[in-house]
Amino acid sequence: MTLSRRSFLATSAAATAVMGTPMILRAQPKEYVVASSLPLTGPFATAGQLVSPAMKMFEALVNEDGGIGGVPIRTVIEDSGYVPATALANYQRALATEPNMVLYYGDSTGFMKLVAPELKGKNATLMGSTSFASDLANPAENPYQYLPGPSYEDQVDILLQNIKNAGGTNVAFIFSNTEFGRDPIEHGRKKAEKLGLEVVLEETTKAQGADIPTHVTKLAQSGAEHCILQGYVTGVWPQLIGGARQFGLPTQFYGTFWGMEKLIADRVTAEAGPFLDGYSGVMPYRYSYDAEEAPIYQRYAAFQKSAFAGTPLENYMPTWGLQSLISMNLGVEALRRVAGKGEELTAERAAEELAGITDYDTGGFFGGPVSMKNNKIGTGRVYTYEAASGLFQPTSDWFTVE
Amino acid sequence: MINANLKSSYAADERVLDNRYKQGFVYGSILLLALFTLFGSDYAILIGSQMGILLIAVVGINVLTGYTGLVSLGHGAFVAIGAYAVTIFNNVATGIIPAGIMPFLSLPFAVFLAAAVGVLVGLPSLRVKGLYLAVATLAANFIVIFLIEEELFAPWTGGMVGLTTNAPNFFGWVLDTKREMFGLIAVLGVLALLAAQNLMRTRVGRAFIAIRDRDYSAEILGISLLRYKLTSFAISAAYCGLAGALFAYFYARILPEQFELALSLQLVAALIVGGLGRTMGPVFGVIVIVLVPELIKITFGAVTGDAAGMAQLRAPLQEIAFGALLVLFLLKEPLGINQIVDRILRAANRWPFARG
Amino acid sequence: MQFAINGLMSGAIYALIAVGIVSVYKATKVVNFAHGYLIMFGAYFYFTFAVIVPNQPWAPEWLASWNPEWMVEMREGLPMFSPMGAILDWAANVPRILLGLAGALVCNAIVGRIIERVLMRPLMGQSVFAMIMVTVGLISIMSGSAQLIWTADAANVPYIAPNTPIRFELFGSMIFLFGTDLVNMIIALVLFAAIVAFVRFTKGGIAIRATAEDQSTAYSMGISVPKVFSRAWVLASTTGAIAGAILATRNGISPSLGLFGFSVLAIVLMGGLDSYVGVFIAAMTVGVLEAMTQWKMGGNWAEIVPYVAVLVVLIWRPHGLLGQKEVERI
Repeated sequence: MTLSRRSFLATSAAATAVMGTPMILRAQPKEYVVASSLPLTGPFATAGQLVSPAMKMFEALVNEDGGIGGVPIRTVIEDSGYVPATALANYQRALATEPNMVLYYGDSTGFMKLVAPELKGKNATLMGSTSFASDLANPAENPYQYLPGPSYEDQVDILLQNIKNAGGTNVAFIFSNTEFGRDPIEHGRKKAEKLGLEVVLEETTKAQGADIPTHVTKLAQSGAEHCILQGYVTGVWPQLIGGARQFGLPTQFYGTFWGMEKLIADRVTAEAGPFLDGYSGVMPYRYSYDAEEAPIYQRYAAFQKSAFAGTPLENYMPTWGLQSLISMNLGVEALRRVAGKGEELTAERAAEELAGITDYDTGGFFGGPVSMKNNKIGTGRVYTYEAASGLFQPTSDWFTVE
Repeated sequence: MINANLKSSYAADERVLDNRYKQGFVYGSILLLALFTLFGSDYAILIGSQMGILLIAVVGINVLTGYTGLVSLGHGAFVAIGAYAVTIFNNVATGIIPAGIMPFLSLPFAVFLAAAVGVLVGLPSLRVKGLYLAVATLAANFIVIFLIEEELFAPWTGGMVGLTTNAPNFFGWVLDTKREMFGLIAVLGVLALLAAQNLMRTRVGRAFIAIRDRDYSAEILGISLLRYKLTSFAISAAYCGLAGALFAYFYARILPEQFELALSLQLVAALIVGGLGRTMGPVFGVIVIVLVPELIKITFGAVTGDAAGMAQLRAPLQEIAFGALLVLFLLKEPLGINQIVDRILRAANRWPFARG
Repeated sequence: MQFAINGLMSGAIYALIAVGIVSVYKATKVVNFAHGYLIMFGAYFYFTFAVIVPNQPWAPEWLASWNPEWMVEMREGLPMFSPMGAILDWAANVPRILLGLAGALVCNAIVGRIIERVLMRPLMGQSVFAMIMVTVGLISIMSGSAQLIWTADAANVPYIAPNTPIRFELFGSMIFLFGTDLVNMIIALVLFAAIVAFVRFTKGGIAIRATAEDQSTAYSMGISVPKVFSRAWVLASTTGAIAGAILATRNGISPSLGLFGFSVLAIVLMGGLDSYVGVFIAAMTVGVLEAMTQWKMGGNWAEIVPYVAVLVVLIWRPHGLLGQKEVERI
């Protein structure tokens, strides 16, 4: 008998399938794996290192509540260095070595886009991420990825509307030369035009180690009253604002989610003075000190006090950690709904249940019950930094964008 | 090796695999690769594919740096060109060319385009050498990546957000699993190695070696520096273009930042660790360069468990290990692992008599 | 006009970085691809001694913030961001800035010596390729170690000089400058001039030049060549430390500072590896070109300016603007 190479391949693949996979699928697994890539090194290391303890807290609390359908979860954290290809390698490695992986948490816009076309068939996993990139909220092409809040475009919309309401006439965009930075700019340009705001400057900078004096000079020459900063985490944006203030520029600065962290603002204030006073931006969630109406924040706070004593997380959860927590809570909620119906935890089913989350009480992350629409939650409000108290205080109501 | 080298005809002397050890080794390796394709675990296939893609590119560098003696720190750019060319060709030609024969056109197109750009980048090599050439190629790498990222070309290249690639389709057989892709990579990898081995017994290969040993002497011997230096650049860029095309096939999406300086340096480092100017050098080098970080990862995971605080130390350690490997080999064994392997084989061959 | 001046200021810093590469090359014929990472180490040492050490509980209080009576009095009633306030802010930081600079100089000199002894000396007489690749390996080692030691935490550091904004009119256009940038430029230019003078006129400098000319002859004339080597490396790493501190105040501190090294390498080759004057011209040209591109075409174009410039110059003059042509013998 002649066995062609192809049919031999097919047969042997089938044989492997028969011998290997069903054993895993039939039996209730011992545990489910929630794996993640975080930037523990590289330009956004500060963020990654603060988020990774939150993952451990998430694991402990989910298991306290009975895991997913009675099966405990285990989190796996790998370092991506904020390099999309490394994160992709991490994901592929996790796929190959962790058969019970039900949820993945990615760490950059680049990675999420890189991995999106790979999420097919048995390579698919429900996937949350640190990114609010607009393209990721696209259930038609990309049902497995979701945003735990408004996209960057939505956030810029909110800011532009806010500028318009305050009587502004022009605006500048300064953004880092990354996908993350560029994401909402084109949309922002159109939106500004619609609102009758003149875009006087669109300036790209390096994500790290930007040439501050040159950028500040250009901002000064443009005569912008308002300036939206996008695509920065720990660096560049404080220096830009500091440079502008020393220059004597009256420009009002705004940030999006990643540029709104209290820890960074506090550190900059301690080091270089209270020049961030009055800096505003969009935040989809409550800050962790705003726990009165957020029972889940109180639970986290109790856990943090005992588990993270002596670290910056003892009395405060950074916004980045909150984002990861809500993102994975939403994923686990979807998985629990699947498990509750007694079905197998496939990525398809989980994505369907996730898309069906409506009027869900997140326990206080958001201002009220929220719904997944187009795989994102378009809710947020504007906060302003008070250097004296070191707190971001809300300066608008919660509102939802379409 | 001394024995098994008796040649009774010129034809025997001219063969690509000129002794029985080599033949046995090659056939044995092919058999092992075939078995591995069928039965290797998913994880091993993943690592194997990464190695295969890198290997083809390193073989290319070897032609240029190992045989011709021209330094390049910019070959990541050719990998990028291969990857983008094969994808863009596919996107543009979909509908015009039937999907089933697309790879037969898009692969040669990618390889050819990379070679053409290789000639262009190679032009300065006629005027500058050594260090200046290294920096010129490095500059070329930055510029190529910049052009790919540039918004002007974004409709084709996708700009910074990258490009979704497609799986190759050979007469209707779509290689859409990693295992099938590994099969393709392995076949092309072996062919690439044999082709490189073959190249070195031809007139062109000997001209390369003459140029490496002393370019002016070679010119005096009647070897056209212009022609052979550019040929060398073209061949090595073509190899890298092939590697890039496979890269695009293997991954579902490509980003410009994957082809930056880091890749160029990794390619050269793999070659140095493996052994410059030897056919098997790239093989050893790639195995070490890919496996060492993986081993560090595995042992690190085993030693520290899941401690989140420790995970952040791993990437810097991998980076240090990479640099240390490179420096150690340059200082202690400039001829690479190939030399060590040779020494062991020679000792084994002569045992129990004189060693060395 | 504004951008031309901004360009000159960054050009001066490029020149200061470049001087390290040129000095090492002149003395040892090694082109240091990892010089950018030496600068990064300088920046991190500055950060360590100017920020981390003063904030330790055991450090005396005046180190972190020096506030004598008269300064507190002067500060009262000053509006925020006034020029006087900026000077006072700076004065309060003087002790830790000095400590930072001193620490950076000493530590970087030690790092430079270690690199020279452990990695570079065994390579004497090896091929160009081998030594390029050793410095390439050094890049990974240094950036990995920096991440291990300091973790990749971008942080703020105090300015070296008072950061008062300066405004004046020149040829009819308003010019804004930061005081600290002006001082940085002056520091960079003075150091550059000092090093050129050192190499040209002092005994040690002459030894460096003699070694560059012909190693074995220099040896036989009683010059200790190994000493010349280590002196050149120390020179490079200390200027690198200053450049690192300056860059840290300008751009914030992060591992990406190391990438500066590559554009500076391009500048060095453009000017000619062994010519201080050529390198100075190239650094200033690239600085201005970059600022102009930034102005006209935007940030991402500016990043490739040095590379395009070096390619153009190399094709036109293979040994750089003012580099010496090597005579090859068969």
